[in-house]
Amino acid sequence: MMKHTFDMAGPGDDVELVQRFVDQELSAEERVQFLSRLGRDEALRRRTIELEKLVLDTSRLPRPIVPDGFAASVLKRLPDVAPSLSSANAGPWRRLIDAFFAPRALRWNLASAMAVASVAVLVIAAIVVRSGSRANALAGITPVSSAPSTTLVRLVIMQPGAKTVQVAGDFNGWNPARTSLEQISDGAWAVTIRLKPGRYAYMFVVDGKQWIADPFAAEQKDDGFGSRNAVLDVRPTETRPGASL
Amino acid sequence: MLISRHARSILSLTTRMLGPADAEDVAQETFVAAYKALPSFKIDSKFSTWLYRIGVNKCTDSLRSRRPENTSLDVISDEGAMALAVADDETPHDELEQAELAWELDRGIQGLPQIYRESFVLRHIEGLGYEEMSAILGVHRDTLKMRVYKARTLLCQSLAHLDGAYR
Repeated sequence: MMKHTFDMAGPGDDVELVQRFVDQELSAEERVQFLSRLGRDEALRRRTIELEKLVLDTSRLPRPIVPDGFAASVLKRLPDVAPSLSSANAGPWRRLIDAFFAPRALRWNLASAMAVASVAVLVIAAIVVRSGSRANALAGITPVSSAPSTTLVRLVIMQPGAKTVQVAGDFNGWNPARTSLEQISDGAWAVTIRLKPGRYAYMFVVDGKQWIADPFAAEQKDDGFGSRNAVLDVRPTETRPGASL
Repeated sequence: MLISRHARSILSLTTRMLGPADAEDVAQETFVAAYKALPSFKIDSKFSTWLYRIGVNKCTDSLRSRRPENTSLDVISDEGAMALAVADDETPHDELEQAELAWELDRGIQGLPQIYRESFVLRHIEGLGYEEMSAILGVHRDTLKMRVYKARTLLCQSLAHLDGAYR
């Protein structure tokens, strides 16, 4: 939607246009006109380059490296707050909390770190295990193994009251009938699937009709049809002890 | 699991908002607060949005508790100068320029007023869209666009003394 022509834009309009250009919010038509005007307006061109460079330089700032023991430090601080969870002790949230923050898993890992070949955890509800490793410290999770070139990923979702939960994604041709989750506790559903390293979009299908993105996924993307898919980023498993924290 | 998955994003947020001195501690506080509040998390919400909101609130708490004479900017200045001194001996000219730019930019970001800083960090460090930023900060997207615009303008001004595109 274009409300004015760029050649007639005043200084205030220029500000808005440049900002919308930097935010990549101009329509294709607006973009062509704007770029055409940049060729004739040196001041506007300098201003645009300045802002574009700022965005580029900012995106290149190094991301901080999470120090070893970060998760352990967090978990050490949890016992003091654990009593506040008493209201959730018996319900599905209790199990979700255990599964996601997994303090018991941490203690197990710390104590057994030297004996573990490799254990890594990916997305929220995804557990990644390489051949020869053990990951059964999390409540309700069965030990699994995998071929070296693939990774086992465990997807978990809370859906109290659901009769069936399936998952559809890039890994199964978006056919939910191919991958059903099992109810592992009150309201908690899970499935373990074998994947090669890569990026996979997926959605859960509840009772065969309700498609929902994984609310705990760290990343989501537009599906091109007005909804958003969760994205699972499966990387080659790290072998560092403690990587599962 | 959640900790490992989101630690880097939250640590990135707290580092850019507060500087390295307090970043790790506040990032840990964020996860502890999330743990306490997890039963109130709405299952149909996006977890990372919810966690960012907690992180931003923790950063705000930390900034409020700071004494004026103990600002992160001073700490960063010292550490940045040290990093530059090391870079001067060991790195080629281009890398030195890049290190100087990164330091100046980081310093500029932390010199921004908080409401501009948090908007800029979420937009350009964390790469979030305005809708998600609105959900995190509880501010209308048009207001956020204005804040990001002001942050960009202030940063360009603060970098104007550098060679290159910033004037």
